[in-house]
Amino acid sequence: MKLLTHNLLSSHVRGVGTRGFPLRLQATEVRINPVEFNPDFVARMIPKVEWAALVQAANTLNLTEVPKEPTEGYEQDETFLRKMHHVLLEVDVLEGTLQCPESGRLFPISRGIPNMLLNDEETET
Amino acid sequence: MAAAGDEPGSDPAGGARFFCTAGRGLEPFLMREVQARLEATQVEYVSGKVFFTTHSDLTSMKKLKSAERLFLLIRKQLPIAIPSLSKGKLLTELQRLINEDPGSWLKAISLWRKLLERDKKGEKVSQRDVNVLKRKMGGNEIVLAKKLKPEEKQMVEESQGEGQRDGLPEDSLEQGDAITKTDQLQEHGLQDDMVKAADTQNQDLTFRVSCRCSGNIRKAFPPQEAGRVVGIALMRKFGWKANLRNPHLEIFMHLSDTYSVLGIPLFRVPLASRTYIQTAGLRSTIAWAMASIAEIKAGALVLDPMCGLGTILVEAAKEWPDVYYMGADVSDSQLLGACDNVKAAGLAEKIDLLKVSVTELPLPSQSVDVIISDIPFGKKFKLGKDIKSILQEMERVLRDGGAMVLLLSEDHHRYLRDCGGNGIPLTSQDNIADPEMNPDKRTGTSDTASPSCKTSSSQCLSRVLPCGSLVPVECFKVSLGKTDAFICKYEKVHAPGLSPAGHHEPGAHQQMAALQESPHLQDSSEPQSSSAQPLQMGAAKEQPC
Repeated sequence: MKLLTHNLLSSHVRGVGTRGFPLRLQATEVRINPVEFNPDFVARMIPKVEWAALVQAANTLNLTEVPKEPTEGYEQDETFLRKMHHVLLEVDVLEGTLQCPESGRLFPISRGIPNMLLNDEETET
Repeated sequence: MAAAGDEPGSDPAGGARFFCTAGRGLEPFLMREVQARLEATQVEYVSGKVFFTTHSDLTSMKKLKSAERLFLLIRKQLPIAIPSLSKGKLLTELQRLINEDPGSWLKAISLWRKLLERDKKGEKVSQRDVNVLKRKMGGNEIVLAKKLKPEEKQMVEESQGEGQRDGLPEDSLEQGDAITKTDQLQEHGLQDDMVKAADTQNQDLTFRVSCRCSGNIRKAFPPQEAGRVVGIALMRKFGWKANLRNPHLEIFMHLSDTYSVLGIPLFRVPLASRTYIQTAGLRSTIAWAMASIAEIKAGALVLDPMCGLGTILVEAAKEWPDVYYMGADVSDSQLLGACDNVKAAGLAEKIDLLKVSVTELPLPSQSVDVIISDIPFGKKFKLGKDIKSILQEMERVLRDGGAMVLLLSEDHHRYLRDCGGNGIPLTSQDNIADPEMNPDKRTGTSDTASPSCKTSSSQCLSRVLPCGSLVPVECFKVSLGKTDAFICKYEKVHAPGLSPAGHHEPGAHQQMAALQESPHLQDSSEPQSSSAQPLQMGAAKEQPC
């Protein structure tokens, strides 16, 4: 699971609502996948990012190089884009958990794939 | 330009005439694709085939995604009129395919050689593009990618499943220009010399004929026999030698009740078999076609909430870069397969996978730009309630103005069509571009059913799905082999009176939309449940403000 994906996920446990975001990330195994740097792609993804959630996730993984916020004119800022490229796309959480910050429900991440399936009791219906 | 290619020499640039086979129903996609990718002109279609003229080289043509196989056209003409002919006359008719206009054959052969030659040169220049699986058959160094089936078996197989499906509008076929105008004239005016040159080279040429017969002609004439007759005629006429196992040249012939077409396959491996897909779930051509109408733009977030082996995601990510794709499925085995496929395709940085139920997506409302999905056909999803809950959840996560392209079974399609909001029943013919109309159907729909990709959407627009804001845009009937299916595109319209969040789902997601807009504000306004909040996280939450 990439941090960009983490940034998009929110807990969907019944009754949690907006308090289900962001999911608390804990990683036991992280892999760095070197990926060819594509500045356009990264720049396109920046507006989608919830920055606070990203910084928080990066901190739990001890990734120090996350800027506190997008720089002005980041589309042209290669240093910034390279950092974001690394954080958003190259960091791959293989094993670990995602935790709903509201209900405490744990979602396991296994082989890089978060399991967000709910039981019947947890669903909204 | 469009008209110019008809006569040899009349168009100095002289594009060559080709055709591609395509799955039934994919013809409109392929027509659009050859126009966009190859700047093709004189694009026309019959069921399962698209004919076009282009100057493109093989490398460009290899990029076609909605086609099955690519052929250089030798000739296309009116069908052999079976009922009126004796067996002897039939044989004569078949032989006429060769003897009537030998020039068309020689021109095609010469052009075929040039295409392969140019391709070989191009390949030497850019070795990194070498594509091991799709090795072309070239000149004298043919590499057999796979063991060939016995010729006859292949013929029989090829002719199956085609026999009953040949009700075609004939008017689109009977062009006078049945013959390939293939003069790639570097030396215009020298056609005769060229033909002679080709002829001398062709002495050692080996070939085989793959024949496919459908409709009445199949009853009168088994494909093996037709192939043999044509093969013998070619040997006599041009002195080529038959070689069933490993020929230089393959001649493909399809005799149907509506046309006869002859061509030279240009690649041994079908265009539809992708080198970058390890294990195909959905047919790659269908997956590509679905993505092609989904309006995927750079910077978008695309979701396939029932991704299976990830075929749609891979096809889309190969074609539309700078986009983030997410695939979800409930099955571990499917997800692992998808994971392998994504890695093998070299798309791991663009595609991420989740184990999630489509009815409970852990995504904020309005967070996804495009949804593309193949809704499972089986009994897994019951028509009424299940389909409805799937659609509602997909509708929720889709942003206003976002597009949703679904592959629906006939049952699902009928259900969604018939339970539309205002209850105007639309017959399938009304909103489906079905290029493969049988004659009966055709009389009623000749106005609306067109080969163009855009169907008239005005009628569709007045109808909405049971879940409110999803409006049908276009719909195509396609064949999946044994069954038919529908590629349906919907657009989520902003419905002020019908807040999707408020209307369709309780609590959670309703608030997510607000959260997206101002997460910090929302966070602080929500009382934190301290028991569920370990300290560390509480701190982290405050931090970025």
